[in-house]
Amino acid sequence: MTRTAWLFLTPSLVVLIAFTVYPMIQAGYLSLTNYNLIRAAQWVGFANYRQLFADPAFWNAFENTVIYAVGVTPVTVVLALLLAIFLNRQFVGRGFVRTAIFLPFIVSLGIIAIAWSFLLDPNIGLVSYWLGKVGLVSKQGLLSDPHWALPAVMFVGVWKNVGFYMVMYLAGLQSIPGDLQEAARLDGANAWQRFRSVTLPLLSNQTMLVSVMALIASLQAFDQIYVMTHGGPFFRTETLVMLIYREGFQNLQFGYASAISWVLLIFVFLLSILQFGYFQRRQVRY
Amino acid sequence: MTSQHSTGRGPGRRIPLLAAAATGILALALSGCTGQGTSTSNSDTGSGGKITLTFWNGQTGPDGPAMNKVIDAFNKSQSKVAVKSVTMPWDTLYQKLLTGAASKGGPDIVALDFTQLPKYASQGLFQPLDDYYKDSAHDTDTLPKAATTASVYDGKNYGVPFDIATTMMYYNKTLFKQAGLDPDKPPTTWDEFAAMVPKLTKTPAGSSKPDQYAIALADNNTVDMYPQFLWNTGGGIVSEDNKKSLLDSPETLKALDFWVDLVKNKQASPIGLSGADADKLFNSGKAAIEINGPWATTGYKDAGIDFGVTRPFAGPDGNALLASVETMALPAKDDDATKQAAYKFFDYWTSNDAQLTWAEGSGFPPLRSDDNAKITGNPYPAIFGAKDVVDDSRLLNPGIASGATIVNDVFYPSLQKALNGDGSVEEIFTAASKEVQADLDKDK
Repeated sequence: MTRTAWLFLTPSLVVLIAFTVYPMIQAGYLSLTNYNLIRAAQWVGFANYRQLFADPAFWNAFENTVIYAVGVTPVTVVLALLLAIFLNRQFVGRGFVRTAIFLPFIVSLGIIAIAWSFLLDPNIGLVSYWLGKVGLVSKQGLLSDPHWALPAVMFVGVWKNVGFYMVMYLAGLQSIPGDLQEAARLDGANAWQRFRSVTLPLLSNQTMLVSVMALIASLQAFDQIYVMTHGGPFFRTETLVMLIYREGFQNLQFGYASAISWVLLIFVFLLSILQFGYFQRRQVRY
Repeated sequence: MTSQHSTGRGPGRRIPLLAAAATGILALALSGCTGQGTSTSNSDTGSGGKITLTFWNGQTGPDGPAMNKVIDAFNKSQSKVAVKSVTMPWDTLYQKLLTGAASKGGPDIVALDFTQLPKYASQGLFQPLDDYYKDSAHDTDTLPKAATTASVYDGKNYGVPFDIATTMMYYNKTLFKQAGLDPDKPPTTWDEFAAMVPKLTKTPAGSSKPDQYAIALADNNTVDMYPQFLWNTGGGIVSEDNKKSLLDSPETLKALDFWVDLVKNKQASPIGLSGADADKLFNSGKAAIEINGPWATTGYKDAGIDFGVTRPFAGPDGNALLASVETMALPAKDDDATKQAAYKFFDYWTSNDAQLTWAEGSGFPPLRSDDNAKITGNPYPAIFGAKDVVDDSRLLNPGIASGATIVNDVFYPSLQKALNGDGSVEEIFTAASKEVQADLDKDK
């Protein structure tokens, strides 16, 4: 019995160990060394971590990452829920709208980010042109404006992922038995009360999953930032993953980059545990 | 990135950042599973002892065909060595370089920007080529000094020049005429330029955003435009002995004050331009002046811009201009046979015949200055390679392991901060200077 179970688990375990667990442990080891990919790693103990906590670039990236996550996660989750409720109704063209919202998720974020860079270009960009028409002129374009660059990449992050979470919510909505809604209606509950006391609690599973996934995704923000701003202007959009990339692949400090990765890993791990704990207590089953 | 790193140069060198990034991301995704091409390339010694050298380069622009012409001629010229060129955008090349040059399937020769070389050389990726310069069989004495010394790091020479390019001032004659300026009298000093700014930067009525700028000055991911301004007040980023940061020197601050004021307050140039953005602006007739290398001529001609090329305006205390050098380096893994084969190619590449073909086709000045007169089909090699131009040209941060980091991670971000008014020039660059000094001290 257990042997069969193990046999079934083996393929995914092998993949998981080879591509997730092993690199993670390896990175943990490298974070305690000086390593440049060519020469053998030199053991330096916790020097990388000490350097990291004294590094203003790290704290800047940390701050940007937190702002990004705090902004993007709730907006994505709430928007996904609202869209799901809206698109759960019957109306002409529903399939089209659903697809249109889901589409950005399928396309590579790198490609999408290129499209957005053109849209936001101060000289040829369509969105910049429209913003100009309504009087919102950014002289240098949103992406090189220190106040607007981060919100701009955050917006693309939301736009990219919201469709996927919407689909998850849609699946949840469709699994809510109709008789529960009907019973509530018979008891005289209005739309808001039904949403508040029936729909939302029954979606708590989806909400947990979506929140955890959205948070992790936003803590790992990289692609659109790399393409659209390269972390600029003056590091205003440099997230932790961007910093890892810069320290590793541009400055050839793979040990130091690994240390930042591990700090990020632990940070994500702790936040996920908190989220699980929070939602576990609020889970509802009827 | 990379850029990163003066993200290469030229169209194709300075490929639009976005396209580069896209390929970069693809490359990142793919490099885990595949090597470059068919991975049989490590100096194959085929039957008859013929060695095939894989040559990585970033000549994706109009300079590519000129290079390939030379390589084809080399391959035909003899039977022992063949060169196989692998051309990719610079961003991609730098991303793959570290793993590529350290592995068997990687390149045998790599062309790269001299600012990138010390970083990799200091990590042991390349081998010193001093024996090439010592052996009188190789004619290296008449190569430009700037080109051969660009690849020196820590007392050893790690490269043989592939090309040298000076950056000059391109100006749009049509826009000069429209502004009521003499199209044959481009500005020759900073003050002359400053006086032209109100005429050349044009803001439509009822808008606060200009639709035409006097100059397109890029402050990130670019061929360096601002640094030469620092030289021309007697300042700079790093002292010539590579030991001291000059960013907080009074001369440097004087230059920065002048240019930050001109760009930020008088809107001489947009803020936040990458090199590709600056090219686009000049290319579409929205900027009257740009500072750029010889690779840009083809694109601007194709775009129908009526432009002139001349020396950039001089500063109050100098008229140095920026030169950049691409150098050919050999990965440390290359064995002696591969190295000797590569030397054959170096000999050929730097020969008069090859340089004539190269200059004629690419617009770059030839590495043999005695060839200038023989180039008839292309006016630009003579302009960019004129003796006074080459003599006054300077390299930015040669031989510093963190040279590219200093420029891209300290200088440009600080400049952007100043241009965005996020502090005074003095505050920002005094702090930046400390960072630069720390980087320099780390290299020692």
